This record gives sequence, C-alpha cells and structure tokens, in this order.
Amino acid sequence: MEIKIEKLSKKFGANHVLKNINLLIEKNKSTIILGKSGCGKSVLLKIIYQLIKNDEGSIFYDKKKIVDIDKFGMLFQYGALFDSLTVAENIAFIDFIDGKKNYKNKVINSLKEVGLSADIYDKYPSEISGGMKKRVALARALFKNPKVIFLDEPTTGLDPINSDMINELIIRIIKKKKMTAVTITHDIQSALKTGDNYFFLNNGVVEDSGKCNLMLKSKNKLMNEFLLGVKKLQNS
Amino acid sequence: MQFIESIGATTLNFIRVIGKIVLFIYLFFRFIFKPKFYFRHNLKYFIEIFISSIPIIALTGIFSGMVLALQSYTGFSRFSAESAIPNIVVLTLTRELGPVLTGLMISARVGSAIAAEIATMRVTEQIDALKTLNTNYFNYLVTPRVLSLTLAMPIFVTIVDFIGVAGGYLVSVYRLGFNENMYLINTIDFISFSDYLSGVIKATVFGFIISIISCYNGLYSKKGAFGVGSATTNAVVISSILILIFNYFLTEVFF
Ligand SMILES: Nc1ncnc2c1ncn2[C@@H]1O[C@H](COP(=O)(O)OP(=O)(O)OP(=O)(O)O)[C@@H](O)[C@H]1O
Ligand SMILES: [Mg+2]
Repeated sequence: MEIKIEKLSKKFGANHVLKNINLLIEKNKSTIILGKSGCGKSVLLKIIYQLIKNDEGSIFYDKKKIVDIDKFGMLFQYGALFDSLTVAENIAFIDFIDGKKNYKNKVINSLKEVGLSADIYDKYPSEISGGMKKRVALARALFKNPKVIFLDEPTTGLDPINSDMINELIIRIIKKKKMTAVTITHDIQSALKTGDNYFFLNNGVVEDSGKCNLMLKSKNKLMNEFLLGVKKLQNS
Repeated sequence: MQFIESIGATTLNFIRVIGKIVLFIYLFFRFIFKPKFYFRHNLKYFIEIFISSIPIIALTGIFSGMVLALQSYTGFSRFSAESAIPNIVVLTLTRELGPVLTGLMISARVGSAIAAEIATMRVTEQIDALKTLNTNYFNYLVTPRVLSLTLAMPIFVTIVDFIGVAGGYLVSVYRLGFNENMYLINTIDFISFSDYLSGVIKATVFGFIISIISCYNGLYSKKGAFGVGSATTNAVVISSILILIFNYFLTEVFF
C-alpha cells in the first residue's frame, strides 16, 4: 500500500510536536523514519495507524482517505504485550480471542522466526527479558500477516546477533511477503541494511529524505550532525 | 470571591463528568450489540470475579448478621421486644445492609481491580495494541466487566442474605439463648418475596454502577503511575458515593 502524508500537524497542548510533515511511503518498500529522541516519530506512526487523530493535514492510503486498519500491523516501542496472557496467547491473539485453538504450530514457527525458543510458549510477559518481549511483540504484529507493518524501534535493546537476525527477518518479509514496512530506528546500520527510503524528522518537519544507500552522502547539515557518530565509527 | 469561583469550577467539572459517564453508558449499550461479542471471554471473566469474591462476600454476610442480632438485642431487650430480632435481622439484611455492604465491598475488591487493570493497559499502550489486533476493544474490556458484575451482584447479595441470617441465628441461639425453631419460624414468616426482590434489584443497579464507573475511570485515566493510582481511587470513591445515593432513592421507590 502507498501512503501519502500532506501538511500533517499535531499539537499536545502547547507542545507542537509535528508542524508540517510531508512524506511518501512507497508500496512494498521499506521506509525508515529517523530523528532525535522526542521529535515525534512514535506519534507520527500512531497517527498514520489512526490510533491518534492529527490536528491538520491529510493522509492518503492508496490515494483514498479511508482505510481498513485491520490490514495494518504494529510493533510498539515498548512491546505493549498483554500481561494477563501467555506468550502464545499474545502472539496468536487474533485466533485466541475468536476461540480458535489450533494455533500451536503456527506460534512455534513465529517464535523460531524471531529467534526465540518454544520454551517460553506458556510463560507470561513478566517472566521474560526485555529483548524477548520485543521479539514476542514483533511475532504478534506479524502473525496477522498485515499488508503494511509499522515497526517502532525493532532492534533497540537487542544484542548485535539478535538485532542482525531481526534485520534479516525484516528484509525477508518485505521481499517475500510483499509487505510495505515503515520502521523507526536509531540504529543506522539497521537502516542502511533494511531500508529503501529514509525520512529524517527535525523540529516538526521532514528535514532530509532520500534513498538509504545514499544516506551517508547526504549534504544536509543537520542530517550530517545526526550521522556524525556513525561516520566517525566507519572512518576509524 | 475565589471561594465562589472554586465552587463554580467544581460544579462545572461535576456536570462535565456526569455527561461523560452518561455518554459512556450510551457507548456500552451501542457496543454490546456490535460484533464481536467474545462469549468465552465474557464467561471466563464472570467465573473469575465470582470465585475471587466469594470469601469476602461470605465474611461480609456472617459478620453483618451476627452484629445485627447482637445490636438489636441491646435495643429491643429494653422494651422486652426480643422476639422481633429474627425479623429485624432478616429484613435489614435483605432490604438494606445486604445490598449496600455487598456493593461497597465489591467496589473495593473488584471495582478497584478493574480500574487499575484498565488504566495500566492504557498507560502501557495495551489498549492501542488491542486496536491493532482487529479487536473491538470496548467489547473485550468493558462489556465482560459490566455484564459480569451486573449479573453477579444479585447472586452475591443472595449469598449474603443466607449467610447473614445464619450468622444472626448463631448469635441468637448460642449467645442470646433463643429457641432454634422459633428463630427460624419467625425469620421465614416475616420475610416476603418483595423484600428479597427489592434487595436484589438494588444489588443489580449497584453492580452496574460499580462496573461502569470503574471501567470509565480506567479507560480515561491520565498517563503514568499517578494516573493508575488516581483512576483506582476515583473508581472506588465515586462508585461508593453513588451506591449510597442510589440506595436512598431506590429505597424511596420500594418503600
Ligand atoms: N499522549 C501524549 N500526550 C501528550 N504528549 C505526548 C503524547 N504522546 C507523545 N507526546 C509528546 O510528543 C513528543 C514526541 O513523542 P514521541 O513518542 O513521538 O517521540 P519519539 O520521536 O518517538 O522519541 P523516542 O525516539 O524517544 O521514542 C514528546 O514531547 C512527548 O512528550
Ligand atoms: Mg518513540
């Protein structure tokens, strides 16, 4: 699905978080959203998903203003797992709530896909680690096979090996399942690896955008400041 | 001047909250007829609150009945009217103390839990997550709680009535030296079905009040741990006050 955002703005009281956002999420591509902490990335994702209302501006989903959000999936920044349900019930929630029971194999496969063992199948979210929660939440978001997947910092809090595995998984689902992905990340390596296009938010507007493979060559001053740490690391 | 202003502000705020709650009740009746209903989930919730509330219901019943017998003895023995104790115990319990005490206990036990759970879910984005998982979040969260409590309260109050009468019986027979048979006969002779029914209707209304107020406070709580705390307190305080107010007006109706 193609998603086009025009002149979008959002205020929380006096806090004008998004001022004038214009961007295009291309169909079956991986779009990366970058920006400093607190600049409104998570809010933008929730507005696109229609979990929060925007103040002004419009969003076009395949050129239409109306969309069936059942086609979307979302990994929340802090997982948002249901803490009264087990890992399996969380992942297979859409089946569980309909009273279906034959989701066991599907859940075990999902767990494998995000690098988790079937041991945690019957555990509760409070009994697993932060990085595991994040991956269970990712498995839950993918379980419904969405057309568009929104990922809020999928690799934050993971060790390098697991974070690379999640990157591979994101690449695989976009290529194989023909999903459109929108990913927020602070992990530039992951952005370079999994992204097609990027948008850099700053002070409520899109400050810089382009192809991910040209990101490090960006001429934008603020974007360069943002990437400084990563570039230093690469040069050494 | 400031004093009057603050009264005005409080009044306005009060009216605003009432308006929101009325809207919330309207939402409840609109959603309940919308797909999906999640029958199994509703049933599971009902069984859960039912079982977890039985101990405090039993305790409420036995001690209310016992203290009623003891207190009315102190009063009535002064007029040599001890024989009225069985009637006093059973009438006070079924018409008044049963529903009110059960309502207050359940609002503390279940209402607070409902508000805290839903508020926590809101703070940790679990309610947003429900929306992203093709779920009718209102029918998943609010409907089971309102239906379960509204249906469970009449059962709870029936249990309190029975256990309370048993408590009164125990104290009267073993402590105050009543004749066992006379006590039972006096109890059964004096209670009419309409007495029992008035208590049951009160309890049903209280169950609806507790669950609606608790769900409302949870769902519209402020963010953060503070929000969870104040949602819980508000749920218990507001539903307890409403129980006392509605109790008076329902009593007027059944008088
Ligand atoms: N529900 C809300 N009510 C009020 N303010 C909010 C709300 N949600 C977000 N904000 C504010 O909006 C701003 C942007 O928040 P957001 O979570 O989108 O940041 P972010 O870019 O995702 O940051 P991070 O990288 O740290 O996750 C913050 O200043 C935050 O305080
Ligand atoms: Mg964020």
